[in-house]
Amino acid sequence: MTSSKALGGSSRFDPDMRLLDTKRSGRVVWTINGSISSESNVVIFVERVPTKDGRVGFSDNCSEDEENSKGLVKIEESISGCSMAINPDEIERLEYDEPGSVGATTSMVGSTSVIHVSAFAVCVPRIYLKTLVALIEKGVSTKEMRLMVRVMRHTMAIRRQLNASILTSFLQQSLPAGSEPLSRLVPYLSQEEEKDMDIDAPSPPGQSQPPAKQNILPEVEIYAYLLTLIFLIDQKQYEAAKTLSVLAVKRVQNFNRRTLDVLAARLYFYFSYSFELAGCLSEIRSSLLALHRTATLRHDELGQETLLNLLLRNYLAYNLYDQAEKLRSKTQRVEAHSNQQLCRYLYYLGRIRTIQLEYTDAKECLLQAARKAPSTARGFRIQCNKWAVIVRLLLGEIPERTTFMQQGMQKALRPYFELTNAVRIGDLELFRSVAENKASTFSADKTQNLIVRLRHNVIRTGLRNISISYSRISLADVAAKLHLQSATAVADAESIVTKAIRDGGIDATVDHANGWMQSKETGDIYSTQEPQTAFHSRIAFCLNTYNEAVKALRFPPDAHKKELESAEKRRERQQQEQELAKHIAEEDDDEF
Amino acid sequence: MEAKLADATRLFQKFKAAFQQNDLETCSNLLSQLKVKLTEFPALPPLYKQTPTAIQELLLAMDIFEHAIVLSVKMEDQDAFERHFLQVKPFYTDTRGLIPQSQEEYSILGLNLLRLLVQNRIAEFHTELELLPSEAHEHPCIKHAVELEQSFMEGAYNRVLSARQAVPHETYVYFMDLLAKTVRDEIAGCSEKAYDFLTVADAKKILMFSTDRELQEYATEEHPDWEIRNGCVYFQKVKDSATCKEIPSLQLINQTLGYATELERIV
Repeated sequence: MTSSKALGGSSRFDPDMRLLDTKRSGRVVWTINGSISSESNVVIFVERVPTKDGRVGFSDNCSEDEENSKGLVKIEESISGCSMAINPDEIERLEYDEPGSVGATTSMVGSTSVIHVSAFAVCVPRIYLKTLVALIEKGVSTKEMRLMVRVMRHTMAIRRQLNASILTSFLQQSLPAGSEPLSRLVPYLSQEEEKDMDIDAPSPPGQSQPPAKQNILPEVEIYAYLLTLIFLIDQKQYEAAKTLSVLAVKRVQNFNRRTLDVLAARLYFYFSYSFELAGCLSEIRSSLLALHRTATLRHDELGQETLLNLLLRNYLAYNLYDQAEKLRSKTQRVEAHSNQQLCRYLYYLGRIRTIQLEYTDAKECLLQAARKAPSTARGFRIQCNKWAVIVRLLLGEIPERTTFMQQGMQKALRPYFELTNAVRIGDLELFRSVAENKASTFSADKTQNLIVRLRHNVIRTGLRNISISYSRISLADVAAKLHLQSATAVADAESIVTKAIRDGGIDATVDHANGWMQSKETGDIYSTQEPQTAFHSRIAFCLNTYNEAVKALRFPPDAHKKELESAEKRRERQQQEQELAKHIAEEDDDEF
Repeated sequence: MEAKLADATRLFQKFKAAFQQNDLETCSNLLSQLKVKLTEFPALPPLYKQTPTAIQELLLAMDIFEHAIVLSVKMEDQDAFERHFLQVKPFYTDTRGLIPQSQEEYSILGLNLLRLLVQNRIAEFHTELELLPSEAHEHPCIKHAVELEQSFMEGAYNRVLSARQAVPHETYVYFMDLLAKTVRDEIAGCSEKAYDFLTVADAKKILMFSTDRELQEYATEEHPDWEIRNGCVYFQKVKDSATCKEIPSLQLINQTLGYATELERIV
């Protein structure tokens, strides 16, 4: 009944609705701007009438009593029935707008306010897909990788709205009738359609579709494969997804086009993902390696990046850190093209480094991955944070409390919070009990072995606390405070203390004859160069960020030429002025 | 193929007999012959051909390599150990579905962990550890190695040394002896940082020497900057100047000029 329901389950229109309510102009008209017919901007009017409780409802020329949500179904049907010419504005808009966002502007026509919803297509996946294909075609003709990336982002936005009928009609429209990909893809969907009972609008077979072009772009074909594959994965049809992905990867290997790279990279990702979901990731390792080799030979940098990550993921799934590191260090690193892939790479690298005890590097990688990851990737960020917490603990740092209080992560990070607490206090007993109680969580996160390593950090922290508190303490007391329980506790304590001194954990000396540990006085840090170097590294970071930002700016092509023209014009104008001046001067002369 | 298999098995029996009698010379000769024979079996890694005798071939090869590892320990050849271990590893990981788990697997893996520890290859130690399933950690051989590493990292060297008495397998003794040497170096390194001086008697005890002479030799060989006089060992520490009195002018100039150019670029 609510307006948001009317719009295909999307609640995105709500803010605009409120805007309208305040106007109370009686009759509000939605115009669907462009995107449907090239004849006129205004195609379908839906009258919106304020209902009794002050809300606004649709009444698509039907009486107020009728189910309001039907209004939209009618629109949708009429849209899918009419011939679709795609407004170039719409393509342009998709190029720059956030996926799923709706740009609505209002204007007054007489006493009625008219809303131009330029992104109405968002709610109608059929049109949306069509527009995306147009965007692909534009991307191919202009050789713009960026557009392909946008296509994928927009696809993800409508991913949940796809169903078998929408996809079938999309395939029939965009692939030539009787072509191989079409005959191959449709059966996958029809299986699904039989099971899917609540399809609202099955596509009529004899729909008046524009005849599809005979020569389709490989990009569009691969896009069709990709959509079907994503759909199958969403429907949890993992076996079907597996077979289809193998076919799709084979198909994509036949082409060597740089415009295909973005789509191909996505395809590889879903290829690996479907095998992962089916639980047989190790089967595709050799084909991934082969794909990576091909991508390298073809200078498909995005493909290389994606496939390297997939391979790392593949190895790490089986704890093959050695192989992963060997592959990583031997492959040529290309400049990052995609932020997502960079995040993943950093995360995997961080994990490898952690296992190999290079904690400082690992920390950098993991923190960077967590920061670079988009805020919607919550699971990924949780994983990064878990590992980062452990690495920081292993480094002897104590992560701030805010790390554990991040939105939506408190629960997942709870065991790690307790662990941090134990390390912070330096209490071996508490540490042991936390490690035992949460063992299942840690082994599920594959961090169990790291927790075991943490034990000596707990001791180290405890020791540091002791060394700060006491200027001199007997080794027997140290052993008691650290809860060292063995026959030779004092000797153990002595060797532990000496090692801590050697590693720079504490600043002290041991007096063996008297059996005590004497802390050295801490010097004034401001008398050293420490503050200066810290200051310098911060300044360098800021400057670097600024430079990176400048480099990342995009400039429209030919923007600088305009200025040149104006310079030319200015010269012309100056010339004219000079001539005029000369003229006047001559005229002046003539007067004499 | 059957004939070849029988042939290799016969040779392996001979090897085992020599192995039992600790005839290392004959063993290594036979082993090289066996290795040549193994190259003729197509079911072994990396080919993994599905021959009718694949299981027997794999089992035989695994057995041979496991014996080869133990042999290399007896011959105190660490390089050979590493080679053989790498050869047997695929049998533990890649042929899981084909042949039953070897009984010696965990003790071999534990031995390898110990070797990595002795060679101070801690990163590889942890990489190997990650590959083990959780139930493996309960096995005495693996547990032994893991606990050793822990004590080693903590600095509880006494525990490391006392672990020698509790070795889970007789082959471990060789590496434990090597580990004792590593531990001594570690202790020496720690001591020179932590103590100003030690009496010779104490130093002897800490560094596990039985005579003064050994200590003297060790000090002159490994740590020439130690000084032994008046019955005490003085560790000559490099007194690093804690506070910097001098202004690092060149560095400062460089930094400031750097800021200037960067700012210039922005404005």
